[in-house]
Amino acid sequence: MIDSFPPGMIMVIGALLIPFLPHIVRQIFMMLLVLLSAYPLTLGIGVHTTINFFDLEFILFQSDALTIPFAIIFHIAAVLNIIYGAHVKHWKQHVAIMSYSGAAIAAVHAGDLLTLFVWWEATAFTSVFLILASNTRRSYKSAFRYIVIQVTSGMFLLAGALILLNNEGNALLTKFDINTLYGQLIFIAFGIKAAFPLLNGWLQDSYPEASEIGTVALSTFTTKLAIYCFAKCFAGTEILIAIGAIMTFYPIFFAVIENDLRRVLTYSLNNQLGFMIVAIGIGTELAINGAVAHAFAHILYKGLLFMGMGAVLYRVGTCKASELGGLFKYMPITAVCTIIGAISISAFPLFSGFVAKSLIMSALGKEGLVLVYFMLLFASAGVLHHSGIKIPFFAFFAHDSGIKTKEAPINMIAAMVIASLLCILIGVFPSLFYSILPYQIAYEPYDFSHVVGQLQLLTFAAFAFICLWHFKIYPPELNSTVLNSDWIYRKMIPGVLIPFLSMMSNLNIKMSNYIIDTSLKTKTYLANIMTRDRVFDREVGKDGLIILQVFTVFLVFVLVSQFF
Amino acid sequence: MKSLIKKFGKINSGVLALCILFLILELVGHRHGETSIEDIIFFPAFFGFLSCIIIFKIGVSLRAFLMKDEDYYDR
Repeated sequence: MIDSFPPGMIMVIGALLIPFLPHIVRQIFMMLLVLLSAYPLTLGIGVHTTINFFDLEFILFQSDALTIPFAIIFHIAAVLNIIYGAHVKHWKQHVAIMSYSGAAIAAVHAGDLLTLFVWWEATAFTSVFLILASNTRRSYKSAFRYIVIQVTSGMFLLAGALILLNNEGNALLTKFDINTLYGQLIFIAFGIKAAFPLLNGWLQDSYPEASEIGTVALSTFTTKLAIYCFAKCFAGTEILIAIGAIMTFYPIFFAVIENDLRRVLTYSLNNQLGFMIVAIGIGTELAINGAVAHAFAHILYKGLLFMGMGAVLYRVGTCKASELGGLFKYMPITAVCTIIGAISISAFPLFSGFVAKSLIMSALGKEGLVLVYFMLLFASAGVLHHSGIKIPFFAFFAHDSGIKTKEAPINMIAAMVIASLLCILIGVFPSLFYSILPYQIAYEPYDFSHVVGQLQLLTFAAFAFICLWHFKIYPPELNSTVLNSDWIYRKMIPGVLIPFLSMMSNLNIKMSNYIIDTSLKTKTYLANIMTRDRVFDREVGKDGLIILQVFTVFLVFVLVSQFF
Repeated sequence: MKSLIKKFGKINSGVLALCILFLILELVGHRHGETSIEDIIFFPAFFGFLSCIIIFKIGVSLRAFLMKDEDYYDR
């Protein structure tokens, strides 16, 4: 029975019991839910659970070579999230994280678009509570924008699914043609969640507003679910190469000037998604392996970086680079773990980022996509700049901010240490890591050229940063807001729409006044005429009205008769 | 050497030493890239250094257009 239960679903259902359990029991219960959710994965590849509803077959649980790595990393991330959030005594965020993780895992195992739609929306409605958990006015507003955009994405998905169902008689989750209407609708739905250029505003807007444990969970599931969906449905779609290349490129500059370190990480997240999207666009076996490997490794090292910054936020109450600095002596373990995350994301050899990114770069080289290759190489130097150096440097070193604090709680440290070890383990034993990827191909990341080339790139990029800082060319971080694509709907549209509506409203009032004035004048004028000429005098008026009514009815009759 | 370390700091000097070491490594072995342009000697080192400077310069110049007051959206 339990083995045919769709993975993730038990986590969503079990989350409902969390409020009724005492804290320690709750932690054990949540771990148990994740284990029970993972158990059906032992069934292996195939379609395992379907239900029929209104003559439609819903595939609740299907597993293939692509779902397995995502299922594994989503379960690992769920465990890490439970450990990382164990210091929070209140049940609300635990319910949200458990149901959100479960919904994302269940979405990965959906075999048709309608089932995917249900879980797609479930991830939105469960995760929004993690943004609300910050309990600030900014987070409330941000959560509202987040849910509107996520639901919009779901509407595109549903529209695409229904058109496909109408055209084909089924809505199976399979490879789609971008040149069809349903293909385009589904593409936009996935693109919103994958934070495509100009559709990415929600990511930088909402994630940094979430609670310290909420951001870690958010960074794991939503965007990587979109990556899975793209790999499943649009592998080899060439436009993804261009979109992905832009995604790797432009967030770097925003990350360089952003002051909030968690927001810097969201730009970095956007940039890393670009690498995966490029790889999916290439669509070869090597590239798809690269995309999946990158998603897998990215969940760990980006989660680790968010954990580090979450710990700083929890202890210090801020994540602004302008207010932080010199925390290494108070939070050495957090600092070391954050540095491991930074080294991993920068793709230093022996760390997870290197073995994942190498696959994508090799796939680009093999396909002869030179321009995109150099864009991604440039972006790799950018990653080192904003995530590899900026994050640990401004939080734990730079200058002494005068903040005195203490090390992160033990549960946070435990989660960070486990994530750090996994980052190193993947980097040191890549063949073990490669064995879970969708395609079994021979690839060796540790050859002389790869290693020396990468080390030169990274050390010289780091040296450039050092020079900029040492010679005081690097400007100080400032308390500021960096404009992003969310400016369009937060400022530009209201900025145009409100004056326009105000103008229309004024015009309406003026026109109404004019009509009322004219009516009154006409009425007065007619009254004067009628009184003067005794047209509708009391005696004559009744007859006159009867004649007028009869004449009107006759006129209407004549007019109507012309049409029949 | 000691004065350099004193002037430039231990960590910074260490990174500089690593830079030199990785350049020497290229002279010892044969490095080739995914593309033919990368086969130019010390190409990744130049590319990494220049990329970081370009990113910094563009980022700083974008401050004038993109950086607003902290309460920009709250007004």
